[in-house]
Amino acid sequence: MKTESAIKAELQAILERVDATEAEVDYGYSNQHATRFGENAITQNMGGENEHLYLTVAFGRKHGSASTTDLSAEGKERLIKSAVENAQLSPEDPEYVKLPAPQTYPQTAKSYFEDTVCLTPEKIAGDVAIATNAAKSEGFLSSGLFCKSHGCSAIANSKGLFSYDQGSGVSYSLTVHGPAGSGSESVTNESYSRINPNSLVERAINTAKAAQNPQDIEPGDYTVIFEPRAVRDLLSYMFWSLDARSADEGTSAFAGKLGQQIVSPKISIESKIDNSELPASRRGVAGLAARPMTWIKDGVLKRLRYDRFWAQEKETDPDPNIHPVFIAGEDRSQEDLIASCKNGVLVKRLWYIRMVDAKELLLTGMTRDGFFKINNGEITAPLKNLRFNESPLVFLKNVVGMSRPERVDSGYSLPAIMSNDFTFSSKTDSL
Amino acid sequence: MFEKSKLPSIALNIADQAGASFADFRYQERQNNQVFVHRRALKSINDSVNSGFSVRVLIDGNWGQASGTIINNDSVAQAMKKAIATAKASAKAPKDYDVEFCPEKGNLETLQGPCEEDPFLVSNKEKADLLLDCCNRMMDQPGIVSAIGAVAAVRLHRVIANTDGSYLDLTNTFSIPMLSATAAVDGDSQSRGYQEGASQAGFEFIRKAKLAERCVEWAKDAVLKCKAEECPKGIMDLVVDPMNLSLTMHESVGHPTELDRILGWEANMAGRSFVKPEDIDNLQYGSELVNFTANNILENGVGSWFYDDDGVKLYSFPMVKNGLLVNLGMTRETAPIIGRGSSNGCCRAQNYDHFPINRIPNLYLEPGTDDSVTLDTLIADVEKGLYVEGMGSFSIDQMRNNFQFGGDMFWLIENGKITKPVKKATYQAQTTQFWNSCDGIAGPSSWRPHGVMNCGKGEPMQIMCMTHGASPARFREIMIGGASI
Repeated sequence: MKTESAIKAELQAILERVDATEAEVDYGYSNQHATRFGENAITQNMGGENEHLYLTVAFGRKHGSASTTDLSAEGKERLIKSAVENAQLSPEDPEYVKLPAPQTYPQTAKSYFEDTVCLTPEKIAGDVAIATNAAKSEGFLSSGLFCKSHGCSAIANSKGLFSYDQGSGVSYSLTVHGPAGSGSESVTNESYSRINPNSLVERAINTAKAAQNPQDIEPGDYTVIFEPRAVRDLLSYMFWSLDARSADEGTSAFAGKLGQQIVSPKISIESKIDNSELPASRRGVAGLAARPMTWIKDGVLKRLRYDRFWAQEKETDPDPNIHPVFIAGEDRSQEDLIASCKNGVLVKRLWYIRMVDAKELLLTGMTRDGFFKINNGEITAPLKNLRFNESPLVFLKNVVGMSRPERVDSGYSLPAIMSNDFTFSSKTDSL
Repeated sequence: MFEKSKLPSIALNIADQAGASFADFRYQERQNNQVFVHRRALKSINDSVNSGFSVRVLIDGNWGQASGTIINNDSVAQAMKKAIATAKASAKAPKDYDVEFCPEKGNLETLQGPCEEDPFLVSNKEKADLLLDCCNRMMDQPGIVSAIGAVAAVRLHRVIANTDGSYLDLTNTFSIPMLSATAAVDGDSQSRGYQEGASQAGFEFIRKAKLAERCVEWAKDAVLKCKAEECPKGIMDLVVDPMNLSLTMHESVGHPTELDRILGWEANMAGRSFVKPEDIDNLQYGSELVNFTANNILENGVGSWFYDDDGVKLYSFPMVKNGLLVNLGMTRETAPIIGRGSSNGCCRAQNYDHFPINRIPNLYLEPGTDDSVTLDTLIADVEKGLYVEGMGSFSIDQMRNNFQFGGDMFWLIENGKITKPVKKATYQAQTTQFWNSCDGIAGPSSWRPHGVMNCGKGEPMQIMCMTHGASPARFREIMIGGASI
């Protein structure tokens, strides 16, 4: 992996060869390995490294770009020629915004760990074998993916902006199928030593055991408890829809809602960049310095996300980043949250969520890998999966309780959430 | 690029010395050009090149693969050594059966797919002017607040050399238009746009799409949708256009018949399948009118790649015949597991650094045999129902059974006639229930293809392309609606 100074020099050299009003060049390097398994055996095992460059050039309001994985001298010449030609030949973009000036970047948590960099295919295969052997001993079938990566990225522009970051990541997801039910777990972290693969295996197997022989359940409105992973599954679409311009144009569910109570007062949604457990990138779009944001406070919509052009139009600051997203939750465990539920269902994971109506933020999807009945505070039976048609805004409006938050992948810190009247619309026989 | 004869041999010789039962060297270059317009502004003109190589090796039934972007004798040799070490690591969690890899004879071919007008030689200015013209025309329509337009060209160049003795140099070109208008009227917002998908073709495909001539109609339809009544709910008959059916067949026929999914290899992410290997020649997948063909030599098919990434020469085969399931999509590794002696060519990887996996082939619903059956005659025999055009939301369960689909435009059918547009319609069914309810398919003249460029599957995720197609078809007693707040 190249050093920061080497990359800076490389990007500077490219910018110096571009004769234009302004230019921006992005660099990325990635070294990754992925081991995939199914039916208790490794089915794919692969690794590699790559570099890429992405160059954007502007002549006034005319702009064009090019990218390449060929970082030879000839490859860079072709890149520059292509981006310059694209810019020269393009019509003016009335919404073009000049590149930002150099930024002062915030301090963020460490995100590059040698223990991940040094993780070998043999060690990963050994962890996978623990999962496959544990599943076999129960008569179950395991499938999953264990990935690790490390790399760096940098951005430089002709106004002197430069930013460099390096990061590492390990991600392990596992699904265990019994004859009549399944369980799934996943974990993501920057450091291998911070994950506990064996614990993940145990949890997935325990869920699969508990999920055997599910009972029938009729579609209808239910009190639900979504575990944090399911909360992420549902709310992702809401975060993607927080665009200010779409709201101003009347095409999104947030049109006309700024300043209004749109969800339960228990809900505040923030983007934070200083959390030690969930490192944030120091920069966002166009190399702008990342900053903390409050999107919803005590249920009131405080802010929508402005791209650089719309921020200019509306005379506000652009919002360079949204992840990682935080919902604080309440001070109790997930077990205590379940204990507080008289009559409801527990949802561990959702699947195939798609937008049905963007204006209403109506989504459809299904439960999978762990769906259970709760009676008088106890999990009493596994259930057959159901399809839902519901809006995350309705889900958050009807919140009646939450747990303490936990990290979900690399972009979220979310609690388990209990919400009333969540609409399941049809049955699915799928296990 | 690299010296044709030497580099693959370096890798394959190392694999041979390590006792590999199969190995390959794959070089791939994916060249992309995209022009993108949003509202009235040209947002990007981009040319990208993504190229590199990978080596794959099968040792004692275990796979290893390594890839890189720097291509020389040393990097290729090092990559194969890494792949071998990775395969040996795979042995920690081996398969519990003897892995076979279907034999194939080696082939030496250099082939190029159809392309009359090279889209990479059409100026970006012409593309930008076309899209800006279309988007401005749409934005000029009252009620339209947003428009998106894009024209993309993709050139895929693959070199495959393997221990069968194959050396394949294959190039395919694809053209992909996109155009959509979004209206905000009376407190609602709806979209409508181009629906015919992509093609393996040059810029002539974009010209034939006549985007400028049709865009205003789509903008007006978006406004019409905003003003329309909501679709009534209930059990009704459904008439579906080829574009909507393409997505339905993709999700409910293409994916369930992928053999790796049936074997459980996709279980962690996209799920499994209700189909079992013993369902071949036993499962009544659809009514007797329903015939699905997997045709990887379909002219202009976006999955017509000549050879798959296992080096299997592509061909056409039936998947469902007179409603009966007769085949599955297979690879050289999955076919022997169900006792088949050969692959039917369904193994492909998105990029050089992806591992080739079992993918949907070009797959289409055969038209009806009688050209007197048309969209109008199908509608004429519906007392109360819905006609669906184009693609909308789509969602199917992890066994590929329960699905819910939307569309791009909906028309109420009453007493054999289209009476009015409706909006916010969905239809929901179980897969075999749906296809067995098909009682009418329009004739050959009504058949239309639809090239899909964004099928997602696998871990890490890979995007793949295939062409679907159909004539309009009718389905009886389907649950309509059911999706609302």
